Amino acid sequence: MAELAQTGLGAGRVGQRRRRSPAPSMLPRRSGLSVAIFLVPPLLLYGVAVLLPIVQSLFLSLFSWDGITDMTFVGLDNYAKMFARDDVFWTAFGNALGYLAICLVLQLGGALAVAALLTALPRARELVKTLYLLPAIISTVAIAFLFQRIYSLDPVGPLNQLLAWVGLDGAQTAWLSNVDTVLAAVSVPEGWRFTGLYMLIVYAALIAVPRELEEAARLDGASWWQTFWRIRFPYIRPVWITTTVMATTFALRGFDIPYLLTNGGPGQSSELLTTYMYKTAFVHTDYGYASAISVFIVVECLVAVGLIYLLLRRRDDS
Amino acid sequence: MPITIPKTALGAALTAAALALTSCSGTAGSADPTDIDPEGKIEAREISWLLSRPADGGVITAMEQIAEEYAKDHPGFSLNLITTPDRPSYIQKYETLAAANKLPELFDTDATPFAQKLADQGRMLDVDLLLKDLGLADDYREAALNYQRFDDGELYMVPFEFQLEFFWYNSALLERANVEIPKTLGDFPQLCKDLRAAGVTPIALDGQDQWPLERYLAYYPFRMAGPEYVQDLKNGEAKFADPAGRAAAEWLYELGRAGCFQEDFSSTGYADAQGLFTSGKAAIYNIGTWELANLATDALDPAVRESVDYFTLPTVDGAVTDDNAYVTPSGIGMAVNAQTYDPLVRDFLAYALERYPEVYAATGALSPTTNVETSIPDNATELYAKAVKQADEVGADSAMPWDTQLDPATNTRLQQELTLLVQGDIEPDEFIETMDAALAENSDG
Repeated sequence: MAELAQTGLGAGRVGQRRRRSPAPSMLPRRSGLSVAIFLVPPLLLYGVAVLLPIVQSLFLSLFSWDGITDMTFVGLDNYAKMFARDDVFWTAFGNALGYLAICLVLQLGGALAVAALLTALPRARELVKTLYLLPAIISTVAIAFLFQRIYSLDPVGPLNQLLAWVGLDGAQTAWLSNVDTVLAAVSVPEGWRFTGLYMLIVYAALIAVPRELEEAARLDGASWWQTFWRIRFPYIRPVWITTTVMATTFALRGFDIPYLLTNGGPGQSSELLTTYMYKTAFVHTDYGYASAISVFIVVECLVAVGLIYLLLRRRDDS
Repeated sequence: MPITIPKTALGAALTAAALALTSCSGTAGSADPTDIDPEGKIEAREISWLLSRPADGGVITAMEQIAEEYAKDHPGFSLNLITTPDRPSYIQKYETLAAANKLPELFDTDATPFAQKLADQGRMLDVDLLLKDLGLADDYREAALNYQRFDDGELYMVPFEFQLEFFWYNSALLERANVEIPKTLGDFPQLCKDLRAAGVTPIALDGQDQWPLERYLAYYPFRMAGPEYVQDLKNGEAKFADPAGRAAAEWLYELGRAGCFQEDFSSTGYADAQGLFTSGKAAIYNIGTWELANLATDALDPAVRESVDYFTLPTVDGAVTDDNAYVTPSGIGMAVNAQTYDPLVRDFLAYALERYPEVYAATGALSPTTNVETSIPDNATELYAKAVKQADEVGADSAMPWDTQLDPATNTRLQQELTLLVQGDIEPDEFIETMDAALAENSDG
């Protein structure tokens, strides 16, 4: 079996190499200048639109500023407040991690499961794909309203109604008002929404796995799970890493659904770092402290991406 | 799609832009906020009013009509009304524009700490002087003007409304539970228990917008310690741990334990809360006279129409405020940008403010002035006239909504903790401790 996996993996790499090989011939070396010419404008745009604001946030985070009176230099006080004096910040950070976990399970786990099942579906794949992708193209506000109705207790919404039908009346609750359920309740719509999108990506990777490898494995007596885990998954690992990075950074930057559904409440039970930062900037007009939080979010995203590469790459190398 | 990096970027870009603009515009702040009658020729142009009022509401309808009348004599004049009825969104917009020094000729604001800073910088016209100079100052209800004043008594905003906040109730539901309307605030918990026992939701509450619940917090301190308590609170001269604050926290905790509000109140919006009351599911609903058209006309469901009545804020034992003093706001006020104030703005305001009360009162709304009579709509119930008459009987003290008084950071925390307190997720002691800490942290900055 180990040999088989090696073969599978080896073939996968060969396949990748083969796919990469045409690249140099499409862009001959002497056109390096033209490549640079094409790359510089987007790079500049990226610098102005992304890097510059990050640097400015870093700068602003050293000040106390309400937008209308003079800025006062406070050094690292905003960071001291963030790490030592502000319990809401830590609650929001914890919530953001919970939100991330739920989104990842739904998006990546759901995407992989659906995509794997889809490859086994003999017909109507396009229809199923479209159905799963549908939530990703609905406006966020509409989704928020939809889930507000789904979770409603008075009048009884679909979720509580369903619980009543199956005899779980005792489990009925005000999902968005209960501090124990609200974080999950605001995470699920976000997770559900993009499952279809990641499913498409993973599905595209899965159908690229050479059939003959799977057939060979099956002839050698590999079970469905062994075929999946030892052949398919290693083959799609590069795509999996990208998908994980996308899903993680999107979830860490998640904002709209929690903001629209509960605005961080009740209390701080569904407050994420992003909603907290937004409130700090635009409700409290404390731009300095908000900038400090945004710097933290950037660092947090970078650390998360670093960790993903470290973990998944290492497994790849082994 | 998750949008935070763009938000971060947007936030930073906005602040950076604002920074650049404020630094450039240092010279623009030289306008004199007391120069209420600038010299020069009236040159008609478009002027803008950034406001936070319902698009089809009485104020906008009246002002559109007045602007049209004025434009007939002043060709080229027009009034551009830019409204954002959702208050939190409005405040964000207005504060961002203020930071960028891009406020239009007229803009809405409450007497918030932020507005006080704008006034201190000379960016808002002194409305006290303006109204006196126009000869209109005496027309206004004292309570309406007082509501707009800053703590030091200065007036920088013109009121356009006058509202009374009542506890509307459904007498049929109260009868079903065999209970009377509460005489004191302390009667509420028992009342709620009795209503619950009769299978009725005692009080419909819009918890999503936060301010309705914050009103409840303001009631006990207003009766026990008067309107000064919240001012002392924000100035650091009072604490939540003081008797008035403690009583308020304990009362709200009791209301929660007695099941006064619908279970999912924190995620119930304005329309849904009102729906609970108007559909006869909830017995009591605390809202102002801006809802007269829905609660005291035949727009109200016939099934409850005859049962609906109201009572005003009950008292407490040893109250320091009179029974006829309660929440009587004159709505968000209109400030005049001192930097863009010119003969045209003055001339238009002179015309508009003189004409406004008559046009506005004709829509069936309460004018902030005493010189006109509100016309009662044809489809009104008896309650309408009763409520209008009540406006002439209110005392000069008004319970200020706390959300316009406290600094925004403390206010946000207060609103969050209040929900937890009423839901029973925290105890009054914890609430008081958290809030006093928040007050200390935020008043430092």
